[in-house]
Amino acid sequence: MNRAALEARHDLIVIGAGPNGLVAAALLAKAGFRPLVLERRPIVGGTAVTEEFHPGFRASMVAATAGPVLPGIVRALDLRRHGFDPIRPPVRLFAPSADGRALLLREDPARTMSDIAAFSRKDAETFPQFAASLSAIGGLLAPLLSTTPPRIDRPGGGDLLRFGRLGRAFRALPRRDAWRLLRWGPMAVADFAAEWFESEPLRAVIAARGIAGCFAGPWSAGTTANLLLAAAADPHSGGPAGFVRGGMGGLSEALAGAARAAGAEIRTGAEVVSIRVVNGMTTGVVLAGGEEIAARAVVSGADPKRTFLKLVDPGEQDPDFLANIANLRSSGTVAMLHFALSGLPEFRALAGKDAASSLSGRIHIGTEIDEIERAYDAAKYGDFSPRPYCEATIPTLSDPSLAPPGGHVLSVRAQYAPYRLKSGSWKERSGELSDAVVRLLSEHAPKLKERIVGMKVLTPPDLEETYALTGGHIFHVEHSLDQIFTMRPLLGWARYRTPIGGLYLCGSGTHPGGGVTGAAGANAAREIVRDRKKR
Amino acid sequence: MSQRYDVLVIGGGHNGLVHAAYLARAGRKVLVLERRHIVGGSAVTEEVFPGFRFSVASYVVSLLRPEIIRDLDLPRHGLEILPLDGTFTPMENGDYLWRVNDHAKTRREIARHSRVDAEAYEEYGKAMVEMGRFVKPILSTTPPDPTSLDPRGLWELLKIGRRFQKLRPEDQQNQVQLMTMSAVDFLDRWFETDVLKATMAASGIIGTFLGVRSPGTAYVLLHHYMGEIDGAFRSWGFARGGTGSISDAIAAAAREAGVEIRTEAPIAQIRVRSGRATGVVLESGEEIEAAVVSSSLDPRLTFLKMVGRRELPDDFVEDLERYKFRGSSGKVNLALDGLPEFPCLPGAGAHLRGAISISPSVDYMERAYDDAKYGRFSRRPYMDIVIPSLTDPSIAPPGKHVMSCFVQYAPYHLKDGNWDDERDAFGDAVIDALAVHAPNIRNHILHRQVLTPLDIERIFGLTEGNIFQGELTLEQLFFLRPAPGWAQYRTPIRGLYMCGSATHPGGGIMGAPGRNAAAVLLFDSKRRRA
Repeated sequence: MNRAALEARHDLIVIGAGPNGLVAAALLAKAGFRPLVLERRPIVGGTAVTEEFHPGFRASMVAATAGPVLPGIVRALDLRRHGFDPIRPPVRLFAPSADGRALLLREDPARTMSDIAAFSRKDAETFPQFAASLSAIGGLLAPLLSTTPPRIDRPGGGDLLRFGRLGRAFRALPRRDAWRLLRWGPMAVADFAAEWFESEPLRAVIAARGIAGCFAGPWSAGTTANLLLAAAADPHSGGPAGFVRGGMGGLSEALAGAARAAGAEIRTGAEVVSIRVVNGMTTGVVLAGGEEIAARAVVSGADPKRTFLKLVDPGEQDPDFLANIANLRSSGTVAMLHFALSGLPEFRALAGKDAASSLSGRIHIGTEIDEIERAYDAAKYGDFSPRPYCEATIPTLSDPSLAPPGGHVLSVRAQYAPYRLKSGSWKERSGELSDAVVRLLSEHAPKLKERIVGMKVLTPPDLEETYALTGGHIFHVEHSLDQIFTMRPLLGWARYRTPIGGLYLCGSGTHPGGGVTGAAGANAAREIVRDRKKR
Repeated sequence: MSQRYDVLVIGGGHNGLVHAAYLARAGRKVLVLERRHIVGGSAVTEEVFPGFRFSVASYVVSLLRPEIIRDLDLPRHGLEILPLDGTFTPMENGDYLWRVNDHAKTRREIARHSRVDAEAYEEYGKAMVEMGRFVKPILSTTPPDPTSLDPRGLWELLKIGRRFQKLRPEDQQNQVQLMTMSAVDFLDRWFETDVLKATMAASGIIGTFLGVRSPGTAYVLLHHYMGEIDGAFRSWGFARGGTGSISDAIAAAAREAGVEIRTEAPIAQIRVRSGRATGVVLESGEEIEAAVVSSSLDPRLTFLKMVGRRELPDDFVEDLERYKFRGSSGKVNLALDGLPEFPCLPGAGAHLRGAISISPSVDYMERAYDDAKYGRFSRRPYMDIVIPSLTDPSIAPPGKHVMSCFVQYAPYHLKDGNWDDERDAFGDAVIDALAVHAPNIRNHILHRQVLTPLDIERIFGLTEGNIFQGELTLEQLFFLRPAPGWAQYRTPIRGLYMCGSATHPGGGIMGAPGRNAAAVLLFDSKRRRA
């Protein structure tokens, strides 16, 4: 087939069928392009996949819940028609405390207040004010998620306009909230939580949202910014608990369905090993088998390090840019553990209570801020903590189809598990980590061990190998003040374009980062359409 | 009631004195009231042990604004800066790192550890000088209020934005990263030698309750490239006669301009009538009236103690209560009858004349911080040590020496016990950590003065022992220092101003807050008259 014929078939190649790649492909197809999505694995979904990890037991292997997916994307792609079935459990978050009590953050604010009152009357009274403030600031920041970061290095007319709009929205905030936003962003999330609340279990739960998935402890400065960004996607104080019927793979299938319906082609088992660049312009990709596919534009859903350090010939790139990419902080800190259970674990804190409902959201294990901080300390010195901070979900409570009758799946994100261990290797030591996690969970659910019939551990190197996450970082690039918004992934290159003509980024390594919202893919698609229309 | 003054300045520290001097030079009748028997605040020289004169608290000069030195003609009033050349870091493996002002020498020394780093060090220095040039004017700027519609404030913000745009792309990136990254993360981008990163990063944590891996600590790295003495970037120094002589020189300049200074005049209360400051009441009961009161103390003392909550808006009180002090450092002053001997570099060479940094590795620094996070002083603390008597023999008896150890971390709030009981254990930990590198030190100690954060609070009136009058963290800098909406040296009380380290640009013997505040105060009084 000659080149012209190929171009007639596909004007765009999307690397990776993760949520962002699929969103980008679907939106580009709707805009009249003919994208070809190339996925190296046999299934679509990237980090949003459902896989069988033990006979009859299926789990959302990396992302357990959606961030949630931006409502605009769900509507634009008509995802429900393509089978997307979100599940909203009655409880957002359950946190057993060290003394055997249960802290529950529910959908229903009134019941949440009464639960908090069991820990602190004062905190219960403060809670509505906190929820309102978080909502107000989340509301201000929400439009940012679907905004291409302006260029602050060399702003053009459009950027000034966007800045002006941002400024107006900022000034429209009550003055108190405006100052709060400025003051909170750079703060340690532990300080932020302590400003509001006195009870340690509640502080720990609030603070955890600032460090989830990050190589930072609650006492690290700047972690409040992560919390505020998360609130932009979901302003609920308990954080998102967006499950999907069929697991997260259900979302990806729906995205793929929408993309195909709009005219995109998706090829699985097609690993891109190189992005072809001639004279600073991309001309297509090369697959693992040697097959070459030409295209005028390539949109990479892979992380920035993989894209530029592995897929593009360094000879075609500016050495300073490459050095900056190599310097991105993207060392993973979480391990995923999936347990196949013969029955529902019994939490001491829930004895005699409606356990199934209480466990239906996210389960937070980390009763004190200092305990979470200590888990982080271990990672700083290249080890994992004997008492990691864990976030668990039991998706089978809302979707029993994921396990055989009576069985349950318990998925645990254990933090901090540094990509690089100072002593030993992850291959030798993953058993130590799973033992630590089981031991820790057993403090709250003593009979857990007896229920375990199968297990799958994904350490950071596993996440790197299986899911192509450089450094095993689930967000591609660390969420931190120096790597967000106009600095994500790099200052001057936060607008989904790259120094290589026709090469774009659309993954979590771009604004607004990780967390399965689809926002990065949608933003990238918008910019690509804008560029291509100009021609 | 006695005399009437235009301005009363509370506190005769370096900022209070600079502030007073500028006001007097503009024709104001100014009285400075100092609680202690000497002026200088944290910049004092005291004969703690007979014959041994110590810069008890603050001990080096670097950031004193050159315009202040010029305007107040401080050299004529006795200021003489002696060189403090180099930083010597003994390592745990018996090696050392010794950087000096001489570029070629430092380059060779770093190359001994890593050739790549020796190259990078040059590049790093150049980049930091560029960054310093960008930040310097901001130090002398009154912070704008980003939430107000005041066109002057917007213009200031726009000006900073425009200067940012003019930077080269790599400098823009450096600038943004400096403001947001941890010192270690920032240095990781440049260097591979652990001890080099540890020692450089140490400057980022001085006086904060943060570790070298805490985001926001990179910014202070810049300060080391902004120190200008006689125009030479990057140099640090001692004042001849100790840091007290800086204060004495400023005081002399102030007196010459007509400022009156009263020591041993502690203030009990700032008088406020219908929302306006009218003067002060001394602890002795004496009342002094003035048109304007300017406080160089931290906001907790100024407002919550001396003004009183009743006179203040609730929001403001709430913000002040949240303002973080969290003193994290102590000071150990030693009188020695001989010099420490570091087996890794024996002899009384030039390495003892500079700073001696006990920061052998990044992990050592971080572990010191971990102790403090959980409410204990560091078992193995970071130390910045100087022996000024080697450069200025006048401060110790012949053949003897004074050694000053700045020690971090020593958290003001201890989880167990109290500082009065822990003082000696803390002093012992410091000597132990020092003896790891200089075992002979124990044999030479004649006297030892241990200052815990509690002592620093008691002696120098620094709340919670924070040497910068409040933590230098991002949420307490620039237009947020010391409280949102009150970063322009004015306060909710008319006629009451702030001029100390708790205002922009913060602590260190810089003098900038005192000078900036004087400009604001004079601007306001001219506007009133007009």
